[in-house]
Amino acid sequence: MTGVLRQIYWLLWKDLLLEARRRDNLLSMFFFGLSLLFLFSFAFEISSENVSRMAPGLLWLAFMFSGTLALNQLFQGDRENDCLDALLLAPLDRGAYYLAKVFFNFSLMFLLELCILPLFGVLFRLDFWHLLPNVLLYTLLGTLGFSVVGVLFAAVTLRARARALLLPVLLFPLMIPVILGTVRTLQIILGAGAAAELAPWFRLLVGFDLIFITAGFLLLEWVLDG
Amino acid sequence: MRGTGSQRTDLVVINESPAVSQAGRARHAISASTRYIQEVIGAIRPSQGRRGGPELITETVLSVRMDSVSKVYGFLWALRDVRLEIGAGEWVGLLGANGAGKTTLLRLLAALAYPTAGAVELFGQNLPYGNSPLRRSIGFMASGAHLYDSLTVSENLRFFVSLYRNDVGADERTTVLDEVGLHAKRDEYVSALSLGMRCRLAIAKWRLVRPRLLLVDEPYGSLDPSGVDVLNRFLESTCAAGGIVVLATHDVPRLLERCTRAVMLDQGRIVFDESRRDPWDSFHRAFDALQSQDSGGPR
Repeated sequence: MTGVLRQIYWLLWKDLLLEARRRDNLLSMFFFGLSLLFLFSFAFEISSENVSRMAPGLLWLAFMFSGTLALNQLFQGDRENDCLDALLLAPLDRGAYYLAKVFFNFSLMFLLELCILPLFGVLFRLDFWHLLPNVLLYTLLGTLGFSVVGVLFAAVTLRARARALLLPVLLFPLMIPVILGTVRTLQIILGAGAAAELAPWFRLLVGFDLIFITAGFLLLEWVLDG
Repeated sequence: MRGTGSQRTDLVVINESPAVSQAGRARHAISASTRYIQEVIGAIRPSQGRRGGPELITETVLSVRMDSVSKVYGFLWALRDVRLEIGAGEWVGLLGANGAGKTTLLRLLAALAYPTAGAVELFGQNLPYGNSPLRRSIGFMASGAHLYDSLTVSENLRFFVSLYRNDVGADERTTVLDEVGLHAKRDEYVSALSLGMRCRLAIAKWRLVRPRLLLVDEPYGSLDPSGVDVLNRFLESTCAAGGIVVLATHDVPRLLERCTRAVMLDQGRIVFDESRRDPWDSFHRAFDALQSQDSGGPR
């Protein structure tokens, strides 16, 4: 197990270093997400009565579309110079590779969300700062769900010619439980529901994350080496 | 000349006697297991001296075996019925025109691709799938590839070596970088390196990893003379330590200076497979024949 942890550490070190030097992923995600929120704020007639019902859905659509942008680029660094071959050639635990990619994608997404959330509050005139711990908890669970499924399907479409198109087609239907869970919990937190309704959604999100992180950890070997 | 589909069947060539032929059959039956072979060799050896039994002429521990291997990409046969056995300490030169199947063969031996038909065994085990300890024994040096452009020379070295070994210190990395002539460039990004420098970095990486089977794809085109010396010294030391080198190149004269065996591929088939000898007329005849075929000359 220490070997797996060591491999995750080195893979994560490599991905974060590459991202820190290029910064193209994070910047494109941020500006894309921000543009979407701007468009949504103009396109939909959102009043103070319906903001707690509508805004969470729009926020998560922006997260998901920006996240898909990141997923499309997730393996790009490893594809250059056939580095992926070098990784597959090594005695690298494929599960470790999967987890490193999940943590990396999760870090990017969470960083994006931390930047977008204040702007979201301003754009939709939402005062949720006192609710921030709860908002962050469910955002974190939803983001993890997005990453665990997204990384697996990004790997599935890695060698496909039209992977940029194929990835959302495969990914979005599977994201329905995550979208339902995160949007509904955010609505409840913002006041459009009773606090007691949070528990089942919490269990759904945790269960989803656990199932897909296990599936991804076990399946990536067949996806990459198959 | 060993023709298409021929096999190097004997690991140990022994003067015939009933006991020995029985041992020979046993070896053929389970030649997949290198350990078993070594045990058989070990069992024969003491009996020679004591009983004046069979005379051991040569011995080669079988390490790589390709049995009727074919690889198809779509409708294209990249390899057809390739039979190849390589023993420890051999330096095999892999030759052939573009598209002959050299890189496919290297990728199969590296377990980066899997055969459509046939079987590949490395060190007595089936081709590793996924994460396998056997992968520690395989190195693949592809010219200019397998390096991250946005990482520095020392970062690339640190990262890749850490996937194989966790006992390599900064001093060892520095020494190896010094030996391949990259110490002064250790903090430069790989994107700023020439192809030759990248190749030197790949040499440094595999020097630290020390694989038992080293596959090298067309290294000579990018290396300067001192780089070629560094590479050849490394490859020779790998073979001297009982490792195997399989090197694919178009630089025939340079390869023939060093390799212990030449294997030539043509349209996915082995058309020549012979160990080094002097003069090596049969090789030159086969090579000239192949070249005249390629240029549309008389067949």
